[in-house]
Amino acid sequence: MRRPKALLAALLATVLLGSGCGAGSGAAADGPVRLLVFGAPEELAAYRTLIEAYGQARPGNEVQLIEASDRKDLLARLATSVAGGAPPDLFLMNYRFYGQFAAKNVVEPLDERIAASEKVDPADYYPVAMEAFSWGGKQLCLPQNVSSLAVYYNRTLFAKYQVPEPKAGWNWNDMVGTAIAMTRDDRGVVVKGTESEGAAARPAVHGLGIEPSIIRVAPFTWSAGGEIVDDPDRPTRLTLDTPPGREALKNLVDLRQAYGVVPTDEEVEAEDDESRFANGRLAMLMSSRRSTTTFRSITDFEWDVAPLPVYQDQVGVLHSDAYCMTRGAKRKDAAWRFLEFAISAEGQEIIAATGRTVPSHIGVSQSPVFLDSSQPPRNATVFLDTVPTLRTLPTISTWPEVEDVTAGILENALYRGDRLDEVIRALDEQTRPLFARGEHG
Amino acid sequence: MSDADLTHDAGLTLDGVSAAYRGVTVLQQLQLTVARGELLVVLGPSGAGKSTLLRVVAGLEPVTTGQVWIAGRDVTADRPGRRNVSMVFQSYALFPHLTVAENIEFGLVVRDVPKAAARERARAAAEQVGAAHLLGRRPGQLSGGERQRVALARALVREPDVFLLDEPLSNLDLALRVQMRAELRALHDRLGATMLHVTHDQTEALVLADRIAVLRDGRVEQVGTPDEIWHTPASRFVAGFVGSPAMNVLPGSGPIHPSGAPPAGMAGDREIGFRPEAVVLGEPDGAAATVDRVEVVGTDAYAYLTLRAGNPVVARVPAAHRPARGDAVRVGVRWADTHVFDATTGLRCAS
Amino acid sequence: MLAPYLVGLVGLVLFPAAVTLALAFTEYDLVNPPSWAGLANVSELVTDPVFRVALTNSLVFALVAVPLRVLLALGLALLLHRRSFGSRPARVAALLPTAVPEIAYGLLWLWLFNPLYGPINQLLRVGGENGLTMLGRTPPQWLTDPTDARAAIILMSVFTMAETFVVLLAARRALPADVYEVAALEDATGWDVFRRVTLPLMAPVLALLVVRDLIASLHFSFVPAFVVTDGGPPPYATTYLSLFIYRTGFEYLRYGYAAAATLVMMLLTVVAVVVQWRLFRRYRAFYRL
Repeated sequence: MRRPKALLAALLATVLLGSGCGAGSGAAADGPVRLLVFGAPEELAAYRTLIEAYGQARPGNEVQLIEASDRKDLLARLATSVAGGAPPDLFLMNYRFYGQFAAKNVVEPLDERIAASEKVDPADYYPVAMEAFSWGGKQLCLPQNVSSLAVYYNRTLFAKYQVPEPKAGWNWNDMVGTAIAMTRDDRGVVVKGTESEGAAARPAVHGLGIEPSIIRVAPFTWSAGGEIVDDPDRPTRLTLDTPPGREALKNLVDLRQAYGVVPTDEEVEAEDDESRFANGRLAMLMSSRRSTTTFRSITDFEWDVAPLPVYQDQVGVLHSDAYCMTRGAKRKDAAWRFLEFAISAEGQEIIAATGRTVPSHIGVSQSPVFLDSSQPPRNATVFLDTVPTLRTLPTISTWPEVEDVTAGILENALYRGDRLDEVIRALDEQTRPLFARGEHG
Repeated sequence: MSDADLTHDAGLTLDGVSAAYRGVTVLQQLQLTVARGELLVVLGPSGAGKSTLLRVVAGLEPVTTGQVWIAGRDVTADRPGRRNVSMVFQSYALFPHLTVAENIEFGLVVRDVPKAAARERARAAAEQVGAAHLLGRRPGQLSGGERQRVALARALVREPDVFLLDEPLSNLDLALRVQMRAELRALHDRLGATMLHVTHDQTEALVLADRIAVLRDGRVEQVGTPDEIWHTPASRFVAGFVGSPAMNVLPGSGPIHPSGAPPAGMAGDREIGFRPEAVVLGEPDGAAATVDRVEVVGTDAYAYLTLRAGNPVVARVPAAHRPARGDAVRVGVRWADTHVFDATTGLRCAS
Repeated sequence: MLAPYLVGLVGLVLFPAAVTLALAFTEYDLVNPPSWAGLANVSELVTDPVFRVALTNSLVFALVAVPLRVLLALGLALLLHRRSFGSRPARVAALLPTAVPEIAYGLLWLWLFNPLYGPINQLLRVGGENGLTMLGRTPPQWLTDPTDARAAIILMSVFTMAETFVVLLAARRALPADVYEVAALEDATGWDVFRRVTLPLMAPVLALLVVRDLIASLHFSFVPAFVVTDGGPPPYATTYLSLFIYRTGFEYLRYGYAAAATLVMMLLTVVAVVVQWRLFRRYRAFYRL
């Protein structure tokens, strides 16, 4: 022991090196399958339930859940881990965002595995969801849900103010009228929200909550007989300058500017729409199935869902997440086995029981697991009835940037009341370069 | 007019001033008067309270008791800027970011004197101290002596009632010190200003002062002209402090018995003191002593002796006739050159 | 002795900088290997309106926030440099905002700035009616109005000036005391002393700190904008250069383009360092005593 310090340093270095290398190589073919997801705590609980069930059904097959805090975090983690050579084996992603990874060859096509599989039969699933994840003729991901926009409403409030509840087939004007009737001050008197500058005149309850984004504009443009892009398969620009697009935009903006039935931007910043609804201060909220898991924890009042209002035709916009396998995955076979489980009726039932999804498996969606009316929303069939009318948004690889850019413009349009011509022009101008850069599947 | 009013009307008066620093009393009921136009040097060892005295006059330290009067005004409660005093600091305290001209005119500019007039007065002050050629430079570009001149110029441009100088020559080398001493004296004579100069260098004090105040432990030991301080020191401390090498002090009954007629009042416990130049070597009935060492400074030699009784004595002899180390000599001195002090109080005995 | 530092410098700073420089001329999505793109990124940057907004935002932020930070730091340093009652706790309080982790700090301000329920607007509404302030106007719409959002980010950044404060505190205490005594003898009062003595003597340190802060402002605007306003009320009101780069790279997977934008940031930094170098050379001669 002539040089204890040097020896100690060498030992320390070896340990560090070993642990560092060990982490990388130890995750070779015999580790758990890694699944990357994001969501609210209730949603993550749903995935954990699924994994536990899988662990019980197939002992010895471990699945590790990697939880990202939000979508952006998930995207960043995915990209960096792929670049780092240690990507997760599976990740869950919305069809609106998977295009950038599909275009970069990150996702492993599943056609062969599906064909060879006994548990997964494409015919069991809603076509609209399956097609959303088809890129270049290949099935890249398998969808777990076929959700869409619906209108959540507070039944207790409707009963309190004696306003008729929304029902199937209602149109936009019906919705606006209902929202107006439901925007009340703290004495329960109907107020016009546009006049509120100070707190006393602020409505205590707002009639409607709607996020100013292109996802909300799309179904109404379609319903009015128009298109939002020039070519849904290979879009090069937005086409909201057509009369149907204009109409949809104007109606959206009027909700704030003309009728004042949606909260102001200040109010939304202070308390977002979902919280507002859960606290009983929003009569209606236009949202997807995702909100169900959050709203199931509401105990103060009763709520339910109604279909989207129509202009001319009944149209819905698809919200779908799917499991995708990465090309660089180290445990593809094990991952596929979990995927099969998750996508099959067995796995879908488990997730559906948590309320998070509208199952993409036709059989499960029509079973009591989904349609069970002991848990709200009792009108769960609303989500199923609209499936045949669902249309998809473009899956071009730069669609996330398109959404970010249009969100900003629409937010200003809704809350600031920018001139409609300006808005439409800005939407077109700022998204053209994004479409030009994008790749299609 | 009472005595008190008279003294208060002087250039500067400290009346029973005590000052403390961190609980320790540094000045003890000090009484000191500086006449108008006088250059008084406060001399003392380190820790005597010299700088504190100066700072008390300037108003930079508070007094615990007593009053400070400047030109007939009670300034005890006034802040420094109101006392009409100027101070030259040991470190000169020049503003590094200003030119020499701006440094000098600083006080005028602050008091809203018009720029042109201030500039002119600054130039005049610089000329008085021989720094006129430095006006455009910055302190960083000046030598020690030049900085001192600038500090002086800054002090006198305002024509204050009292000038305070805090060991201004101690940072200079010997040659420069000698030169600046002379210039300082000349400046004082030209201006006729009241100056309070603080130093620990007794040569400086003897050369510069109109009067010297010897300070010890916060008390004034003696105030007098350089002559008085030299020839009639009021206490053993003053006698030992002024003069280099220090005065020899021996017991009155001791080994050395001065020749000649002794003064009256020799009874009691006494000590005698005599300067090295008063010592006579080779006195036939002087005290026996051996030479420890001899220091030669030019034409003078200082012989350090030890008497057989054990007391050390220093004698000044011409270098040519100096003894060698180890020589046995006989030491004597005359009563006329001897000072008598009371052994207990250290004070001079009146003769 | 210098070796460990050099290793870190080369490995963690110079090498990544060189890689960024190279990446700026490629298209790279982190998944597929980089492909050469020549000057395409640069020409796209020049015409990109979002980049221009981000650059303008960063420059304006620097020009407004930095003087405020330095002024606050200077004021506090001059107030607290003497050992007086409460100066120690006050100094610690001045350091706290910087000591708090950035994200926690950002989240705290997110709550403070809540337009309806946050303490700031609640306080402003005291004494007013109908949710207005005492003066009869609406309280600032911190996170929803573009100008107010920028003000919010600047406000957040003003308090994290601890490093500047500590340096100025040390600089003030290092100033020679006798110069202040001269000033006292010349009857210079508070404002005169500050203007004629303190400020000029501290000017070199101040200048260097301002330049340093300008460079740092490119970076410390990131976490507030990311956590509190998420790029700001549309359109891009608080999207700073750093956030723009982060988004382009990590959210849109365009690392080549982000690297090109980073080059602009590096260029701005180099300009600031050159300015700093010349200031240092100029002032160094003056104050040597």
